[in-house]
Amino acid sequence: MELLRTSRDVWGQEVLQGMSWDLIPVFFGAGAAIILCHLLYRWLLAPKGQSR
Amino acid sequence: MPEDARRLTRHALIDRLLHWGMAISTLILLGTAFLPILGIEFAWVTIHWVSGIVLTVLVIAHTVRASFWQDLGSMWIDKADLRDTMQLARWNLRMSARPPGLPGKYSLAQKLIHHVFTLTGLAAIVTGGLMMVKIDTPWWERNPYWLGEDVFGVIYVIHDLAALALITLVMVHVYFALRPEKLHFTRSMFLGWITRREYNEHHDSARWAVDAD
Repeated sequence: MELLRTSRDVWGQEVLQGMSWDLIPVFFGAGAAIILCHLLYRWLLAPKGQSR
Repeated sequence: MPEDARRLTRHALIDRLLHWGMAISTLILLGTAFLPILGIEFAWVTIHWVSGIVLTVLVIAHTVRASFWQDLGSMWIDKADLRDTMQLARWNLRMSARPPGLPGKYSLAQKLIHHVFTLTGLAAIVTGGLMMVKIDTPWWERNPYWLGEDVFGVIYVIHDLAALALITLVMVHVYFALRPEKLHFTRSMFLGWITRREYNEHHDSARWAVDAD
């Protein structure tokens, strides 16, 4: 997986264009993973009656 | 009205308007940034930079209001937050039967996500502002040579990274806003108030003195 997007300028030099859009599912997946971990924590580990 | 049901102000109208204005402009910025990449083609550039300017103005207004009209310290991470977090960990790991102390207006988790949003949003705003020299606006004509390609490359990377991080942050923020035990916070961001019972159950009056609605 590429981390960065690059292109070539008129002189053939590599130019940075930004982050790779292949990372969109990674950041979306990170959000989903945090949510899933918290759901599991609340279901399995959190003391009963915890409101924080 | 029973004392427990009395309404206490958590967010004034101006603060709720600023919050939802920032939320809507952020969602428009994310939509205009990522939908074209995902194959939904439309003229996104003007909507994107106008939303960016709206977000910038709202962030400045929020910063001024928080600095001079609100208690800036309520968002500051203090020793009590760290002590309560340690106690929360011990309580969760069954190392202590004593629950942690109550927070002030904001919990440590709320403070942390606010600060991460602040850093990420500022990174996107500053780099987005610099990128605007490359487009025509009512105030100036584009000048793609104002900075070198290598400098713009770094600016693009920071802007993209901030935008990608905002996907994660918005997901987590919305998830916690919809958690059953947090719904009174979400209601207060729509209607402004929490009840006296919710205040007593979720806040330490010594750390957050609140006014009746």
